[in-house]
Amino acid sequence: MIEFVHLRKEFDNVLAVEDLSLAIPPGEIFGLIGPNGAGKTTTIRMACGLLAPTLGRALIAGVDVAEEPERAQQNIGYLSDFFAVYEDLKVWEYLDFFAHAYKMPEAEIPARITEVISQVNLEVKRDAMIAGLSRGMKQRLGIARAIIHRPKVMLLDEPASGLDPKARLELRNLLRSLRDQGATILISSHILTELEGFCTSIGIMEKGRMVRSGSIEEVTAAAASQRLVRLSWAGNSQAVVEEKLKSDPRVSEVSLAADAGTFRFSGSEEDLAPVLAALIAAKVPVTSFGEVKQTVEQLYMKLSTHEVM
Amino acid sequence: MLRFWNNPEFVRHRRSELRPVRAITVAAVVAVMCVLLWLSCWSFEQSMMEHGQLAEQSFSRSTWLLFYRWLVGLQGMALTFWVLFSCAQSVSGERDRKTWEFQRTTRLTAAELMIGKLVGEPILAYFAVLCAAPITLIAGLAGGASLGAVISLFIFLAVTSLFLGLGGMWLSTLLESRSRGIGLIGALALYGFTLGIFGMYASGLPGLAAISPLTGMIHLLGDGTDREFAGIRPLLFGHPVPWLLMSVLLCGSFSAWLALMLVRNLKRDYPEIRPLSRWQAIGCAAFLNFLIYALLSPAKLMDTLSGMTRQGWFPDARSVALFAVAMNGLILFLMGLATLTPQERLKVWRRKRATGESAVFADDGLPWPWLGISAVVAYALMVWGLLAWDHTLPLDMGTLQAAAIRLLLVLVFVTRDVLFLQWCMLTRLRQPIVKGVLFLCLYYAAAAVLTGLTTVSSQDAARWMMALLTPVQAFDTEVKGLAFPAATYAGLVLQTGVIGAMLVAISSRLQRPMQAGAAA
Repeated sequence: MIEFVHLRKEFDNVLAVEDLSLAIPPGEIFGLIGPNGAGKTTTIRMACGLLAPTLGRALIAGVDVAEEPERAQQNIGYLSDFFAVYEDLKVWEYLDFFAHAYKMPEAEIPARITEVISQVNLEVKRDAMIAGLSRGMKQRLGIARAIIHRPKVMLLDEPASGLDPKARLELRNLLRSLRDQGATILISSHILTELEGFCTSIGIMEKGRMVRSGSIEEVTAAAASQRLVRLSWAGNSQAVVEEKLKSDPRVSEVSLAADAGTFRFSGSEEDLAPVLAALIAAKVPVTSFGEVKQTVEQLYMKLSTHEVM
Repeated sequence: MLRFWNNPEFVRHRRSELRPVRAITVAAVVAVMCVLLWLSCWSFEQSMMEHGQLAEQSFSRSTWLLFYRWLVGLQGMALTFWVLFSCAQSVSGERDRKTWEFQRTTRLTAAELMIGKLVGEPILAYFAVLCAAPITLIAGLAGGASLGAVISLFIFLAVTSLFLGLGGMWLSTLLESRSRGIGLIGALALYGFTLGIFGMYASGLPGLAAISPLTGMIHLLGDGTDREFAGIRPLLFGHPVPWLLMSVLLCGSFSAWLALMLVRNLKRDYPEIRPLSRWQAIGCAAFLNFLIYALLSPAKLMDTLSGMTRQGWFPDARSVALFAVAMNGLILFLMGLATLTPQERLKVWRRKRATGESAVFADDGLPWPWLGISAVVAYALMVWGLLAWDHTLPLDMGTLQAAAIRLLLVLVFVTRDVLFLQWCMLTRLRQPIVKGVLFLCLYYAAAAVLTGLTTVSSQDAARWMMALLTPVQAFDTEVKGLAFPAATYAGLVLQTGVIGAMLVAISSRLQRPMQAGAAA
């Protein structure tokens, strides 16, 4: 749905994005992670046609954005970190303007305006002047603008910066519902907790290059050569646990306390099952056993610190 | 696209700026102003009649005529300035509000955005004129003007307003964000320029005056008291044409160029704005050259038409050639400015050129080859133009030969200056073009001072200095044929060497390594 082919962008003497190739399939929520100046915004601006790439192509739903911007933009909903609106219009007039600007069929527009106004909880403000809305309401109106034309692709550049916690939660819920409706979402952020438990795949950018990309599981597996496993048990079984774990050649860094501990395991998730079975067979009353998943933040810090910086 | 009333951008402006209460207020203000104006005219004519300067039987008609003239004059000035001023803030205003990016990501084409803004931004001005239109029509007819004359006035106002609106919008696209000061100064300068062009009616190119809003209004409303202006008609290929037709032709053709530049650039990011493609720039330069010969009014012809003797601009073919060379200096420089390549594009061109994928004449290459083509086109048009005017301004071979050298001299200096500006764009200067132009001004001031200082020791040395450092020798009226002084040719060789040095400097700048990241 979103495809970058050897995308490159130069600004004077600065190489903002270097040879970026990436394909994001339909229905994916792809988190673009990286520090300020990594090239995330430049990538998104090229994807929505605001910037022309120096080299390479950005394709949205198979349409080259630089070649046929208007056709590509039919499928794009763009949301940036600022929510500028026309203060001298009414809420419905603002959405009507963008519905017409996206060339939606005339007959569909009134119903669609009502629908998105309800999606962002602005029903009571439908006929209010935008100038009189609170900041949070203007932000919600900005979101409504981005989705008015039912885009297949949402390009979100730091969309939650400046949002209050409630609005962030609403944005997150809205994006989830869009994903459920089949939209593909490319979201950039340097606030990693924002993307936690939300993205289906991530890409880590630094200094204009994509350091790593793929599904969260793939990136995690690639980043971690060994799995960190945590377990706990009832009673006094520390010695038995230690003996059983150390007898397995794939286990290392065993660290145990009286009733809990951790170890590193170099096999796959399926390979862990026999380890648990061996403990149970040795009459260890195991109360919990599982891999410690890395957060996006931990993953980013690991990749960023060790591989790039 | 032409159904502007359905254009979303126009509808947005109509909704936000012409809500019922505001529309009623504007209509009421227009009505009150018309009443006040009529009363003023009535009292003025009354006093004229009391002083015996006006016959009683012509009082009514005279009052209406005076009212009509004031009404149209005020509307014309207000409309043209309002349209220019509001369009001059149309794009920069959106950039400032940060709403521009959202418009650019919609499916509205650049042409739709341009039309929406052109008819939408000054909607209050259009509405005010629309409110006053019936009163203007009644006043005109009651004052003795024909229906055709009143309609002509409205056509003239529409054409000049749209031209100024497009000019203002282009100015606005060049402003990075709204700066009321710069926008206002730019709009005022543009308006002052178009008003000032009225003075061109007495020049060798009287037709150019038709661009000014003043020209049409004075012509259509004038009572013939300005005898000099009343006696002059614009010429098109030597044939007198009505001012209104000339206004439509000139404003229309300049509007078309402005529209082309806007459509090319309106949806582009600010640093990627390039007014015209290379071929379009050559076309524009050819058009401007063509205008010189199409609007030319030789002194003899002007005297024949107006019945007055004057010192005309063009007594002979050599003066026309000199004028065309001077104009081409300006045209080539503007063309060079319009076709400067952004650093990013130039680097890609250089890389492609190294691998044989791109040519010297590529659209993203250096501007110098295109300046050369433009100069050749200008010379060809000069030959054509001078031959076409041969019946009134006899042409000799020496004039054409001298013109070729003059144009070559101007081309070399302009190319050097344009390449210098291109080099400035590759440096870390902020606003490199503005600073580059200021450096060029400094250079020419220094050259003038040096020439002045050298004059103290020897006139010959001063002439050499001037010829080496400036293109002034191109305008030496004493030269015939190819017999330019040796200093002129030395200057030509020296500046060609400087061009070579500029090309090397640009090339070395383009080879500098890139710095990764930190673009935002």
